[in-house]
Amino acid sequence: MGGLQKKKYERGSATNYITRNKARKKLQLSLPDFRRLCILKGIYPHEPKHKKKVNKGSTAARTFYLLKDIRFLLHEPIVRKFRDYKVFVRKLKKAYGKTEYSDVERLRENKPSYKLDHIIKERYPTFIDALRDIDDSLCMCFLFSTFARTGKCHVQTIQLCRRLTVEWMNFVITSRALRKVFISIKGIYYQAEVMGQLITWLVPYQFSHDHPTDVDYRVMATFTELYTTLLGFINFRLYHSLNLLYPPKVSLSLTKLSALSSSLARVVSTAEEEEAELDQFPDEGEDIEKLEAREKEQKQLEAQKKLFDGLKFFLNREVPRESLAFVIRCFGGEVSWDKSVCIGSTYEVTDETITHHIVDRPNVDKQYINRYYIQPQWVYDCVNAKIVLPVEDYFLGVTLPPHLSPFVEEKDGDYVPPEKLKIMALQRGEKPAHGQEDEEEEEDEEEGEDEEEEDDNEEEEDDEEEADEKSLKKMEEQRSKVKVTPGKMKVENPARLEEEEKAEEKRLAIMMMKKKEKYLYDKIMFGKKRKVREANKLAAKRKAHDDAEKSKKKKKTRK
Amino acid sequence: MAPGRRLKRVVASQPGFINLKSTSDPGSGRRKRVNKNKKKSWNKHSDINDVDAFLEDVRHQERTTGGLLSEKSDDSLFFLDIGQPKKPEPKVAEPVEGKKRKGKTSRPLRIDLILQHDSLIQPPKDVLAYQQPNAKKLRRIGQKAEQLAAKGVVPRRQKQLLNRRPVNRTAKKAVTEANNNPDRDYYDIWGQESKDQGDSWYLQQTGKKLVKRPEKLNEKPSVLPAVEVIAPGGSYNPDFFSHQALLQEAHKVEVKRQKEEDKIERQLAVNREDTATEETILREQVEGLVEEENEEEAPPNEEEEDVAVGAISLADKKTERQRKKERADKIKAQRRLANRRHNDQRQQLFQLRSIKASIKQQDQKTMDKQTQRKANEEAQKAQPRRLGKLKFQAQDMEVQLSDELAGSLRQLKPEGSVLKDRFKSLQKRNLIEPRERAKFKRRLKLKYVEKRAFREIT
Repeated sequence: MGGLQKKKYERGSATNYITRNKARKKLQLSLPDFRRLCILKGIYPHEPKHKKKVNKGSTAARTFYLLKDIRFLLHEPIVRKFRDYKVFVRKLKKAYGKTEYSDVERLRENKPSYKLDHIIKERYPTFIDALRDIDDSLCMCFLFSTFARTGKCHVQTIQLCRRLTVEWMNFVITSRALRKVFISIKGIYYQAEVMGQLITWLVPYQFSHDHPTDVDYRVMATFTELYTTLLGFINFRLYHSLNLLYPPKVSLSLTKLSALSSSLARVVSTAEEEEAELDQFPDEGEDIEKLEAREKEQKQLEAQKKLFDGLKFFLNREVPRESLAFVIRCFGGEVSWDKSVCIGSTYEVTDETITHHIVDRPNVDKQYINRYYIQPQWVYDCVNAKIVLPVEDYFLGVTLPPHLSPFVEEKDGDYVPPEKLKIMALQRGEKPAHGQEDEEEEEDEEEGEDEEEEDDNEEEEDDEEEADEKSLKKMEEQRSKVKVTPGKMKVENPARLEEEEKAEEKRLAIMMMKKKEKYLYDKIMFGKKRKVREANKLAAKRKAHDDAEKSKKKKKTRK
Repeated sequence: MAPGRRLKRVVASQPGFINLKSTSDPGSGRRKRVNKNKKKSWNKHSDINDVDAFLEDVRHQERTTGGLLSEKSDDSLFFLDIGQPKKPEPKVAEPVEGKKRKGKTSRPLRIDLILQHDSLIQPPKDVLAYQQPNAKKLRRIGQKAEQLAAKGVVPRRQKQLLNRRPVNRTAKKAVTEANNNPDRDYYDIWGQESKDQGDSWYLQQTGKKLVKRPEKLNEKPSVLPAVEVIAPGGSYNPDFFSHQALLQEAHKVEVKRQKEEDKIERQLAVNREDTATEETILREQVEGLVEEENEEEAPPNEEEEDVAVGAISLADKKTERQRKKERADKIKAQRRLANRRHNDQRQQLFQLRSIKASIKQQDQKTMDKQTQRKANEEAQKAQPRRLGKLKFQAQDMEVQLSDELAGSLRQLKPEGSVLKDRFKSLQKRNLIEPRERAKFKRRLKLKYVEKRAFREIT
């Protein structure tokens, strides 16, 4: 037979993949250059499903790239720039070696450089695509802006990152886009909503600096290069969407802007017109209920955005100034700090109109009367709770309530920490009775929060029984004194009635189910009840723990 | 070289030395006649010591006093002794620079003194230093320029210099065009509509058009989100239960690690009784050396070998009868099988229900397996892929123990490094492959040589 036999590894997945070294040789680049190119273009290695086939029978661990991706890379114009750079380095070394310093100067002035604009345009064809990917770039830029300017990585990169992050923060302040803040042991997590996209980013603490050695700095620097370009373009577009000048014009330099205390200049300074509220008509397919729900949400959002409106804050020296200034200004408050801490402070500590003074020490020397001295957690908790919380729990020297994570969504029946329940109650408008023990309240609220239907029913039944007994007793008493009194109108609680009706309907529906369905239903309910039982157990544990703490405290105070 | 100065090599010819051939005889005053016309003989045979001494004296006077003593005035040489002069006024304390010496003025250093000129004669001037080869020409040019300037005429060169525009010193091109220039400009990259520069074919052929990006590259390599928020127990002031939950998870990880270590240790464990004792070592060494036991064992071995090993009988050829029988048997068996199958098929009609049940079961099994496989695939998607030689090592959980928790934001000690976290996140999302630092490998082996001193000792 001729050569028409099918040979192994000539078709199929074996020809779709290419190893890293082969790809590098095909592109004629060195390994660090190849890696940099892949990172910039967004080409990632793939793990093939059948490694043996692709690796032509062996199972050695190799890095595989798709062949089509590498072929796409061949058309990239910056590959030429990489080769130019290699030649530049070689010439520079030669000039140094021959100590021809004028040549060195000349070469340095004509150093080849590349631009990443076309890559950004290619990877993110629309603005919304870019916004979706901004999480990573924000984290990287914030991280790099906290680096020390020692020269390990280019100082210009650090400066550029600082500029971009400050611009971003100013944009968020102006558009009041911040929604959630979480202070963790790693750093501070922020979440903002920009043009319908939820963006989460992590800001490290300013004072944590251990540079681990097993991190590849070149890779991180390449990523940062790409991300700074991306963030810059996004900032430009965002600023223009709000009619602000970009690059932002503040009277002084970047340092004044980074103080986050001044507002940005607008392109056309128009008088702010009050938009007349338009009548909203329901879209197709939406009922009025949904529309109303949406309106309610929007109103809540508007209220949330003006959380700190009218409040004046002053930050003491030991609190994290930038984070607090950012958060406070995002919600409409005014903030200032001591002049020696940073430039840009608008008013002094002696100003009489300050409403809240944020301190982190156990006590303060001089106390003004008409302002609250609170710990910084109050600000963050208010933001997460979307209301202005009562200040009493956050006074100096008071043990703070725990800082709960706003990124946790509790489902039905899950354990809800009592602090969160209190906050939810506050949100609904109920005020906790002052001077009462918190625990009793929590228990009542917990029992009220249980959304388990049967428990509610049981409670109602219990209540009814108790009520019956009481009424019986009353009746017996009243029999002795029989009088005719004007009848009292029974105020029927319509909400309660509705609940009762619903419960009745549910019971009927359960009775009418088929055996099989009933079996499934029982199984589901059993599972739900289990969760609730666990939650109750945890709550009991928490109560025991709190009791123990209290008794300990009492013992201490007695001593 | 003056002949008087030359060191008289021959001792005998030095002054003061009595000649060997002493001419005590006054009569023989016949000295050898020397011709003093040539320089050589004149140098040898003339004595200029007196001239030398005189000149030395003159030079000495000039060195020490700056001129001939005979030419100095009387006042410089002599003074009239009138008596004790008045004590001079106490000197004003001069501000001493540097070190303060109480009462003593600082003396100059000895080495400075040594290096100073100690003679009063000026060192000679270096004439060459004052010579300029074209001094006359330069002087002429200078004079001419002065004359022209006095007249007000501006020469052409100067006019051109004055007319030249000042140089625009712009920032270096490399710095401004660099990607990480802190003052770089951004523009609206998404707003501009693409300008039609020309024919698309032309653009493609000349390499000006960018190649379209394949669709597959727009998919994200992992379903994990870019930023994973830490569990609520990671708050700086956490709620009791969430903190316990986080500690529990960290504990689980540690337990797992401990289990693996224990497993390895168990596998490596050796039974104490198996270790060699002296007795067993001795027994091993002595084995086979004691001859009595060997002889007893030899004969029983030989007897055993005689036992017949195999009863392999060769097969005879098959007879016709046998073949016929075989054929008949075969047919019977086939018929039986066919019958059986037929019967089975008929009976299956009555087994329909159980057949249905078994089919249902199988279907259920396959469906379960399918759902399970799909769930596994989904779970796999969230896992980091194996992209190279190294496996992905998840970082340690960031947890603060109960006694490390800070009461306030000021006392908070951050845990973990965000840089490492981001790096690991990039690896987890399959954007980069896990790599370790490249080791330094030497191409040629190092050779260690002892120093000579040490080689002698050892």
